[in-house]
Amino acid sequence: MSQETPQSRPQGQGRPQGRPADAGSPRVSRVDASVASPVKFFFASALLWLLVSSVLAVITAVKLHLPGFLNGCEFVTFGRLDAIQRNVFFYGWASNALIGLNLWLLASLGRFEFRNGWIATLGGLIWNLALTAGLAVVLLDSQNAFELLELPRGVAPAFFVAFLLAALWPAVAFARRPTSQVFVSQWYILGASFVLPVVYLLTQLMVLWCPTNGVLPALVHSWFLQNFLFLWLGASALAAVYYFLPKELGTTLTGYYLTTVGFWTLFLFAGWTGPATLLGSPLPLWIQSTGVVASVMLLIPLTITSINFFGTLARDSGWSRAWNNTTLRFVAFGLVAYTLAIALQIVFSARSLNAVVRFTSFISGQQQLLTYGFVSMVVFGAAYFILPRLTGAFWPSAKLVHLHFWSCALALVGSVAGSLYFGWTQGAALAAAKPFAATANPQAALLSSACAVLFLIGHAAFAVNAFGMLTSCSSTTDEGRHA
Amino acid sequence: MKNLNLILAGVFFTVAAPFGGLLLSGHAQLGSLGRAPAEEGGPLFPAKEPGLAIQGRQVYLELGCVACHTQQVRPAGQGSDIAQGWGVRPSVARDYVLQSQVALGNRRVGPDLANYGARAKTDAEIAAHLSAPAVGSSMPTFPSLFSKAKDGSLQPNERGAALIAYLKSLRQDYSSPEAKLKQ
Repeated sequence: MSQETPQSRPQGQGRPQGRPADAGSPRVSRVDASVASPVKFFFASALLWLLVSSVLAVITAVKLHLPGFLNGCEFVTFGRLDAIQRNVFFYGWASNALIGLNLWLLASLGRFEFRNGWIATLGGLIWNLALTAGLAVVLLDSQNAFELLELPRGVAPAFFVAFLLAALWPAVAFARRPTSQVFVSQWYILGASFVLPVVYLLTQLMVLWCPTNGVLPALVHSWFLQNFLFLWLGASALAAVYYFLPKELGTTLTGYYLTTVGFWTLFLFAGWTGPATLLGSPLPLWIQSTGVVASVMLLIPLTITSINFFGTLARDSGWSRAWNNTTLRFVAFGLVAYTLAIALQIVFSARSLNAVVRFTSFISGQQQLLTYGFVSMVVFGAAYFILPRLTGAFWPSAKLVHLHFWSCALALVGSVAGSLYFGWTQGAALAAAKPFAATANPQAALLSSACAVLFLIGHAAFAVNAFGMLTSCSSTTDEGRHA
Repeated sequence: MKNLNLILAGVFFTVAAPFGGLLLSGHAQLGSLGRAPAEEGGPLFPAKEPGLAIQGRQVYLELGCVACHTQQVRPAGQGSDIAQGWGVRPSVARDYVLQSQVALGNRRVGPDLANYGARAKTDAEIAAHLSAPAVGSSMPTFPSLFSKAKDGSLQPNERGAALIAYLKSLRQDYSSPEAKLKQ
């Protein structure tokens, strides 16, 4: 195994910047040019879904304190929009962006020029069409009772085929890579790309296609959800961090020799943590306890990633350099969120604590830390690095970059802090046998709405900047420079 | 780690281990669970849902009620569900053996509904709650479940009646072999 070194790739762009007055267009390497089309497709799709998700998040947040808001038609009722917003965020935004990011990382790390990139684009097209059709069914007809499995089961075969087409490339790239070097990022991408289709297929079969009555589907669902969150979203984002952190800091990772253990322990234990989200449920106690043990074991990969990332950032003014680099500012923010999210997962898998916060907003705050604070922020950071290399253009506006970061960072801090605080206080009030109706805090819903609006502003700033770049025609391929 | 096959084999193991250890073992324990009497010779529980309630379950899923309501009562030491009056005993796996798509839920914006049928009063009161929830509640109204009668009052339509029947069928107020009611 090898470390990504500062010399092994062209240097990044550093601070957020618009087009310098005396600069030409950035050059596009041959490797980047070979994946430009599918990666741009995935990022553009992700961005559109992110905007849809942000608008829906504002509507659902407002509905929680003004239930009469947009309540004339059944298709805009909270239960439907909430499911749609969640699916748009996870399958539309996060998954599209991570498929594109993984493609670029593997091509880049393997020095591999893709042939037939249209196959990945076709996969992306099928993915997005299937998602759109599935969302229409949820909006107008029915939905399933499990988070992220709400879409009708007919969508599953299309998702599966689409993912194979789009993620078949990672395996091809890895097997045919011209270099013998293998990077940590590649393990995580391969692991994530293998886990998602297998787990999704098995879950669909056991929950929707050949369902069994009773609580077993809830157990299968918890297994799917934890795999999706930790080993698809989380592992793909970790792959990006293992690439960008040493590269942009121009240094090596602290405790690199521990990365193998970190990788295998994450994959080994995360898949068992599902039942820890079902404590107190009607499932057998031994199953719930297994989930608690697995959650505590996540301490091992958490310790290792903390040594790797925070150890690296602590050297040679790493934090201050990260702060002054657009990509790393987002990545470092994401790393803090990741550490907090896993730490909360470990601590609040303890039965006594879990009993207080279960079913409250605390759980959604905890999930938001991982899926938005970590995954989305890392994807944003990666986009600031990758898109100029694919389009051969500069980011049109540095101000919009700042607006994007500060809006999203403040919204996330407000939203997560509010969810955790109000969730905990509601749980504590319920534990003190206060009547349920008296425990809901109206300020929680107001804060949530304000943060949703702030997220929308940040995402709109990002979208304006990104689409400005994606639609520019200043691409210049650098034939002479090999990636 | 440079070997693709080794990495994929290892990842396959990490997926297969919880699949076998949790899901297949869980299936072995829960898959054959059926209705049972609390005492020998007694009636079988859970009771079968009436046909209208089965249609109502579909309305419950369509509207996404699971986004705000759970259907599981935790044991006394694990939360205050019983103290809140949401159930008279903790939910057990056998309570759900007739349900094809169990809606346990994961968030409580509103109260738990596992034993709602036992505390619900009349159809009219449930209908009134669906058409005009209490002031201060986060619950929206559901005009699509009602139609105007000749006297101008709102009456549950076919879907509304089915949902009401389903809500009334939600009961966990019987003894089961795993959770006996206190006398």
